[in-house]
Amino acid sequence: MLNAGSAPSPPGTPGADVTMVGIGWRQAHYAELMERQVAIDFLEVHSENYFAQGGASLAVLERARLRYPISLHGVGLSLGSVTGLDPWHLERLAQLVGRIEPTWVSDHACFARGVYAGNVVHGSDLLPLAYTQEALAVLCANVQRVQDRLQRRLLVENATAYLRWRSDPEHPAMAEPAFLTELARRSGCGLLVDVNNIYVNALNARHEGVEGDPEWHCRQWLDALAPDVVEEIHLAGHARVSDIQGEIVIDDHGSRVCDAVWRLYRHALLRFGRVPTLIEWDTRIPALDVLLQEAAQARSQCQALAPSPS
Amino acid sequence: MSSLAAQQQALLRALFDWPAESAAHALSAHTQGDGRRGLMAYQTNGHELAQRALAAAYPVLGELLGSESFAALARAYWHACPPRRGDLAQWGGALDQFVRDDEQLADEHYLPDVATLEWALHQALSAADQAADGASFALLTTADPASVCLDLVPGCAALRSPWPVVSIVCAHRDGTPSLDQAGQRLRAGVAESAVVWRAGWRACVRQAQTGELEFLLALRDGGSLAAALEAAPTLDFGAWLPMAVQSGLVLGARPMAPTS
Repeated sequence: MLNAGSAPSPPGTPGADVTMVGIGWRQAHYAELMERQVAIDFLEVHSENYFAQGGASLAVLERARLRYPISLHGVGLSLGSVTGLDPWHLERLAQLVGRIEPTWVSDHACFARGVYAGNVVHGSDLLPLAYTQEALAVLCANVQRVQDRLQRRLLVENATAYLRWRSDPEHPAMAEPAFLTELARRSGCGLLVDVNNIYVNALNARHEGVEGDPEWHCRQWLDALAPDVVEEIHLAGHARVSDIQGEIVIDDHGSRVCDAVWRLYRHALLRFGRVPTLIEWDTRIPALDVLLQEAAQARSQCQALAPSPS
Repeated sequence: MSSLAAQQQALLRALFDWPAESAAHALSAHTQGDGRRGLMAYQTNGHELAQRALAAAYPVLGELLGSESFAALARAYWHACPPRRGDLAQWGGALDQFVRDDEQLADEHYLPDVATLEWALHQALSAADQAADGASFALLTTADPASVCLDLVPGCAALRSPWPVVSIVCAHRDGTPSLDQAGQRLRAGVAESAVVWRAGWRACVRQAQTGELEFLLALRDGGSLAAALEAAPTLDFGAWLPMAVQSGLVLGARPMAPTS
C-alpha cells in the first residue's frame, strides 16, 4: 500500500493559496526557456524521454530542476494492462524520480502492454479501457504497485478513447467519472483531469450517434467527479479529421486550447478550485511565447474564477 | 481468457497484424459499432510513431533510402517487430537484421552495417555519464599489464564491416568525406572498422586504427591490458593511448578485479 503522506504536498495543491500554471517543456524550447529564465510555475516533461542512463537530455532536465518544479508525466506505464506492468519501465521511472525529485508523477488510465503473437508487446499508445469492475481491479493493483515502488502518490489522467467497448451484461460498465473516482478512493492516487480529452471524447461520441450538446456532456462529466481527488488539470488543442473513413477528433496537442475547452476549464475551476494547470503542446510546436500566452490565459481564468481557498 | 484480456488482446492484434482485416473484424466483436474509424486512428498514430522513432535513431539510413522507402520500412518493421517497451528510444535495435532479410534491399549489401553503426551511435547517446580519472593512469607505469584494465567510456562500441560504413555515415553526418568520396570507396569495396563513443554529449565515430578493433573488443570482453595487447599486436599502443584519452574514449585505468 501507498505510504500516504510520504510525498510532500506541493505548493498549488488545493488548499494552498497559490495558482500554479505550467507548460509542457519539449526539446524545441530546451535552450530558449533556460536562457530567457522564463517565469513559469512548473515544467512538465514526458518521463520516458529521460529514461537514458546519461546524456544530454538528462543533463538538461537536471539543470532545469534547479530552477523549476518538474512534473514527470508518463505515457508508457500501461496502468490498465491486464498483463501487468513492465518491471524495467517501473525501475527506470523510479531511478528518474529519485534523480529529479519531481513535484508530480503522473500517467494515464489506459493500457498499451499485452500479448501479441506469443510475445509481450507495447502498443506505444494510450489505448482505451472498459470501465468495468474487472478493469478497475487491474488498474488499482497496477497503480498501487507503482506507488509502492515510488513511495509517493501517482496522478492518473483520463484518456481519450477513439473506440468504445461494447457493453457486456456480465461485466457492466461504470461511467468514466465514477470509475476514476473509485480508482482514487481505492488506490489513494490523485486524478489529473485533462479537460480537452473529455471534450474530444464528447465530440467523437456525437459522431457515433450520442445526442445532446457535447459541452453539456462534459459539464456532467466534471460534475460527476469527486472534487477532492483532482490534483492537476491539463489543457491542450485537438484536430478534427475528416476523410473517407468518416470524421474523428484527434487529441493531437497541436494547436491552441479551443474556446469550448476554455469554458469547460472555467467550469472545472469552479468545481475543483485552484488546481495546478498545465498547457500541453506536443505536435507542430509553436514559438515559446505562444505557450506562455496560453499559460497566461489559464492563470488569468484561474485567478478570476476559482474560489478562494479556505 | 477474461473479458478484459480478450479486449486488450484483440486491439493489440488489430494494431500489429498487417494486413489487419481479419483482426479488425475480430475486434469489432468487442466494440460499439465496428470500431473501424477509431482503429484507423490508432494504426495511423502507430505508423507515424514508428517512422519518427526510427528516423531519430537512423538518420543516415533514412537519407539513403529516401523518405518514402524509409516510411515503408518503418511500417513493415513496426508490424514485424512490435515494440517491447514503453520507451520507443529502446525500439529498433534489430533493424539491421530486418534490412538484411529484406529481399527488396538485397542489392544494397552495405545497408545492414550502416544500420548497425547508427544503432551503436544511438545507444552511445543515452549511455551513462562517467567522468575521466586522469590520475588513475599512473597505474600503467607501476603495475603489471596483466593486472590492469582500461575503463572505456560507457556506450563505446567497436564494429567490423566489409563496407566503408564509417565513410558513408560521416559523409551524411558532417560532409567529411564527401558523398562522392564515400561512393567511390563503396564501389571500390573498401572495408572499414568503426569506433563509436560519446564525447561530451555528442556521439562520435571514426575509423579504427590498425589493431584497435581487436584491442577494444578484448577490453570490452573484460580482458586485461596485457590480454588486449596480445590480441592486437599491430596496435601502436604508445601513440594510441594519448589520443584515446584526449578524445574521451578511455577514462582511466584500474586494477583487475581478482578472479575467484
